[in-house]
Amino acid sequence: MIKPTGSHTSLLVLERITKRFGGVTALDNVAFDLRQGEIHALLGENGAGKSTLIKILAGVYTPDAGIIRIDDQIVHIRDVADADRFGIRVIHQELSLAPNLSAAENIYLGREPTRCGWLDRRKMDEDAQILIEQLGMSEIRDVGATVSDLSVAQRQLVEIARALSCQAKILVLDEPTSSLAEAETEALFSTLKRLRSQSVGIIYISHRLEEITRLADRITVLRDGRSMGTQTTAHIHQRELIKWMVGRDIVDHFHRPPHKPGNVALEVNGLVSSKIHDVSFQLHYGEILGLAGLVGSGRSELARAIFGIDPFTAGEIRIDGKPIVLTSPRAALDAGIVLVPEDRRKEGLVMIQSVGFNISLPWTAEWISFCTPNERKRIEIIDHAVNNFEIKLDHINQCIDGLSGGNQQKVLVGRWMEHLPKILILDEPTRGIDVGAREEMFNFISDLVEQGVAILFISSDLAEVINVCHHVALYRDGHILKTVTPDAISLETIMEQLTGARIHETD
Amino acid sequence: MRRIKGLGPLFAAMIILLILFGVMVPNFLTRENLLDLLQQISVNAIIAFGMTLTIMIGGIDLSVGAVLALVGTSTIYVLSFGDAETQSLLHFVLAILTGLGVAGAFGAFNGVCAAKTKMPPFIITLATMMIARGSAYCFNQARPIPIADHQTVFLTIGNGRLFGVIPIPVLIMLVLFAVAGILLHRTRFGQHLYAIGGNREAARFTGIPLARTQIIVYILCAVFTGIAGMINVSQLYSAEPAAGIGFELDAIAAAVVGGTSFTGGIGTMNGTLIGAIIIGILDKGLNQAGVHFSIQDIVKGFVILAAVYMDVRRRK
Repeated sequence: MIKPTGSHTSLLVLERITKRFGGVTALDNVAFDLRQGEIHALLGENGAGKSTLIKILAGVYTPDAGIIRIDDQIVHIRDVADADRFGIRVIHQELSLAPNLSAAENIYLGREPTRCGWLDRRKMDEDAQILIEQLGMSEIRDVGATVSDLSVAQRQLVEIARALSCQAKILVLDEPTSSLAEAETEALFSTLKRLRSQSVGIIYISHRLEEITRLADRITVLRDGRSMGTQTTAHIHQRELIKWMVGRDIVDHFHRPPHKPGNVALEVNGLVSSKIHDVSFQLHYGEILGLAGLVGSGRSELARAIFGIDPFTAGEIRIDGKPIVLTSPRAALDAGIVLVPEDRRKEGLVMIQSVGFNISLPWTAEWISFCTPNERKRIEIIDHAVNNFEIKLDHINQCIDGLSGGNQQKVLVGRWMEHLPKILILDEPTRGIDVGAREEMFNFISDLVEQGVAILFISSDLAEVINVCHHVALYRDGHILKTVTPDAISLETIMEQLTGARIHETD
Repeated sequence: MRRIKGLGPLFAAMIILLILFGVMVPNFLTRENLLDLLQQISVNAIIAFGMTLTIMIGGIDLSVGAVLALVGTSTIYVLSFGDAETQSLLHFVLAILTGLGVAGAFGAFNGVCAAKTKMPPFIITLATMMIARGSAYCFNQARPIPIADHQTVFLTIGNGRLFGVIPIPVLIMLVLFAVAGILLHRTRFGQHLYAIGGNREAARFTGIPLARTQIIVYILCAVFTGIAGMINVSQLYSAEPAAGIGFELDAIAAAVVGGTSFTGGIGTMNGTLIGAIIIGILDKGLNQAGVHFSIQDIVKGFVILAAVYMDVRRRK
């Protein structure tokens, strides 16, 4: 691996970038520079101004003040086409591929090779194949494969290939690993390192500090729209990094609540469906059971089956020792089970509606009797969740889309606490939220457990699972390999269990 | 309950149009003329109330025009059993129930297909539109069935006036407006419609009964159409199997001009009523101003486009 130590040519320099939205200053005199052949991490809590900065680079916003230099030339990025021309490629958190087209078609979308005006499919596939090989993306085996058939990680690589198919000098990745499992993350990292050796400048945004300290050459921290400076990664520890980022000390390890298990709350015996193969476990009141599995291991499917969304062919579910048939989410909710889904935008919230609408939605029976809504009761329910969870908002009638990811997640979880559930299933509750919000989420989980709630905690962030849970069920290919106590097992061992042989392939 | 955007601009547009035609057309703003206007929009408005509910959940019902014709023919078919002497209240009730039953059956069929299969509502209701239209032609060898003059009660539905002033169709429209408005804006059911239209998966995870709610919505839409069908045949003094062609599009236009989002989750009953009134004002106003009917349609087309464009821009 070629380290970028020799080359200090600045590829991109931002000076005194300022951007205001109405009365809010999103970016205040921000300075940033990116060298050729380096991976430069951009860190900051949600709302620190990272996405505004990226959107300026992508040509979505134009700065109110400040200078952008690329290769020592002052440039103005007026729109997305300009950004394209300067060789800036941004890969957003939500992938923008057409799922019905093939990998090759996506890579050359809008720039399809033609012969005599006709689409030249063969050349497109050949070019794509060559490109994939140049980039060393052996994970994409067939460029003709339809994108919807690819894994999330493979899709991410297709997106990167598309970005690099037209001479990208600057590659910006926004939270690329938020939906990737560990092994897939490793594959992405090796691709990024390869690109670095090919002199591409990479701006990398992530909440996962472990990743950043491993991957990045330098780190720039944004806090409240100001840059807090740039440091070389080698000189900084994770703990300092957190302090630097949030401007205060944060306990870097979650204090797991004492394990005082009560009776068995939820018992699953021999559950079988097309995606679940003979799953059995017990969850006690006052206990957090972790379900650790990679993306695609069928964790969410298990949650959906328990919650009465997907049918299962064999097995039984018992609540408080009594067998129960759950054929709909309504039945599951009535039995005291709440499932907070993985994808808050797609499955969780009604994004076009207000914060208040979303919070009060599960409790319509409480505040509407026949045709007389009780506005006071409704406000009470909403305020309860907002205060309990310290949800930051301007007004309860504000559209929920305007809230930060962390606050949206708080709405999604907090709204269920009007009446405490018996059993709470959390599917990736900390995905894409910042360190501060994550800490609040953990404290909240801890409170619930102490009040006796039984929690099934699903996550692909293994460090998190080990820190939070009393027991961890290792889940792969739709069944539980074994259940372990987190103190008795190392991260590496879990990794090996979950990935099987895959870990050796990607190393 | 929840209205993210107000109806101010839409209401203003309605007032401006009224003033505009008030200046252009003598006697446009008389009580009689305005009541007549409301009478003319009543059928479309009633269908549009139901249509608003279906569009609200991200669905559509193209079958309403054809169902309206079928309700007309089947109702009048039952109504005209027996001779003049044996006509009774029983016949009247039976006829109404038949009509509403037919409508409800079509609605239930649409709803079950939409909720329980993956077929898109557009295609389902396109098919049931053809089925309903064909069924309407099955009566009386596809010829219109006249309503006998002695059916005074039935004829009152479309032509009578309360206290000699308020047309009965307008009265029915206002009652159904209240029913639909309360349903959408004051009940759990209505709240669930906003959730389903806004994000179907999110609605599922909050325990909202998706299938049942959808089926009820399609039944409501069809039953509203059935009631509109009664008014329609009564006004025409006969059941025409070819009636109601294009009514689905008028109803969609009223809902959409009234601010109902075609992707679902956004809209109000007030908006739809104003939308129907705006289209009614254009129809009547242009007609009374002596504008050729070809130009009328062109103007209407542009107005719909402008209304939706402004609405989309306002939402950004």
